[in-house]
Amino acid sequence: MEVEIVKGLKFHKKQDVAIVGAGMTTFKRRLLETGKELSYFAVKQALEEAGLDIKDIEMVVMGSAPDAFDGTALKGEYLLDGAGGSDRPYLRVFVGGGTGVFAPIAGYWHVASGLADVCLVVCEEKMSCCHPHPQSAFKYIWDPILDRPLKPNLIWIFALEMRRYMHVNNIRHEDIALVSVKNKANALDHPCAQVAEKITVEDVLNSEPMALPVRRLDVSPPSDGAAALIMVAPHIARQLTDEPVWVTGVGWALDTTHWTNRDLYFPRYVAEAAKMAYRMAHITDPRKQIDVAEPYDPFDYKELHHMEGLGLAKKGEAPILTREGVTARDGDLPVCPSGGLLGVGNPIAATMGVKACEIYWQLAYRAGKRQVAKEVTTGVCQAWGDLMQVGTVMVMSNKR
Amino acid sequence: MIEKIVDPEKMRHFPPKGGKIELYWVYTSGRAGEEFFRKLREGKFIAAKCKKCGHRYFPPRIYCEFDFSETEFYEITGEGCVEAFTVATLDLNEEPMEEVIAMIKLDNTDGKIIHVIKDAKEVCIGMKVRPVLRRPEEMKGNISDIAYYKPV
Repeated sequence: MEVEIVKGLKFHKKQDVAIVGAGMTTFKRRLLETGKELSYFAVKQALEEAGLDIKDIEMVVMGSAPDAFDGTALKGEYLLDGAGGSDRPYLRVFVGGGTGVFAPIAGYWHVASGLADVCLVVCEEKMSCCHPHPQSAFKYIWDPILDRPLKPNLIWIFALEMRRYMHVNNIRHEDIALVSVKNKANALDHPCAQVAEKITVEDVLNSEPMALPVRRLDVSPPSDGAAALIMVAPHIARQLTDEPVWVTGVGWALDTTHWTNRDLYFPRYVAEAAKMAYRMAHITDPRKQIDVAEPYDPFDYKELHHMEGLGLAKKGEAPILTREGVTARDGDLPVCPSGGLLGVGNPIAATMGVKACEIYWQLAYRAGKRQVAKEVTTGVCQAWGDLMQVGTVMVMSNKR
Repeated sequence: MIEKIVDPEKMRHFPPKGGKIELYWVYTSGRAGEEFFRKLREGKFIAAKCKKCGHRYFPPRIYCEFDFSETEFYEITGEGCVEAFTVATLDLNEEPMEEVIAMIKLDNTDGKIIHVIKDAKEVCIGMKVRPVLRRPEEMKGNISDIAYYKPV
């Protein structure tokens, strides 16, 4: 049977979605708390900020990356009671590193569809359980016949990608290192930060080589942590606050799993995801319409890479914007004002705390010392993961 | 022959590119667990009571699952009543064994514990049992610090 499919995305949502509260724990390499306890602390903080009680929560979305980190199979279920999931609809979503923005996207569709009026989104990761190093868990993501016998690791792949990005766009390592310098300095104002420090470009260039051109200070650290976010329908938001932050667009896309068949210099997965989110949010010129951005920055070049994918800079232009101070906290387009993964830490899914939560705090003018200098209306956050192939994007605005 | 692996640490890749999966995990028992096992070393049992609804958690937790308020620790005897039991007769390698596994409701709490019962001629529901602890120097900070339960 032939069916006619009308091309294009249709957004028949039942109701708008507002964010009214967020919370996160400190990010550290090794925390005494269990994953459940971490989730509890993040949820408690988000509930307090929103002025809600756990009994007001209708549905819960849990985002957590591989079971292999925490070392508990069925990790979503294991974390359930700390995440407030007892006796209510509870769903775990997982797209590797992209989970930090994909979990709020799932929260969005719970509310936008009208199924829930109040949805709690929790993200947790406890990477320190995994020995000898969380990196070892990534060994098993590769093709067992074509890749794994060569013993690849993630740093390798990023070194290849970074080299390709530098080569195609003619970028020097000095310019990329500026991202690490900026983010680690921004993180000095973040109470949850793990590796906040004042460093220089020379420090980055002279740090320990890992897989050249990637050096120690080009990379974010593994961490333990959790974050939470509360999404509600308009009639609930009105009762809780005069200034909710609205989710205006969501998008996600995956590139081919054959990472050897992609051109690594440009993140197509992000560009496709951004296209979807921008269409929904009626954004035609992201560079002009977006006031603050939180692209995923597990490596310093990745922030630049993802800015270009998000259309915040032309191809090869992101390092120039960084060098000119445009992406600084007091610049025209602040990027990673939280300090990002490079400064605050990288507990895979829980990076929601410095991506989706941070954009919410910025747009609600609740970011405290981290608040950007310019007036903000629209912000975008993005995460990236799976086999380096998924882009997840969320656009928020404090105007409905 | 079919290979049967019951110990996750013995998992390995298939030949020809065989090799051991070298991942292993080191867990933390958390704030509540840390307190519980420290007290256990002194021979004491604790549970946790929700400050709001009064639900009494065992094993202790730092939060109440139902209203998300804090809890406070209090001491209990560790004794309890058998609520359900089974007799296991084959181990993971299908070798014969005999062990009584019981779900024990602990006195003065709303929680239960699963543990082995020894030194009992007969086990029945409602039977009163008490814990036998390992010597402090043998304790590892997990549930096997309680060696077994036996009838009062």
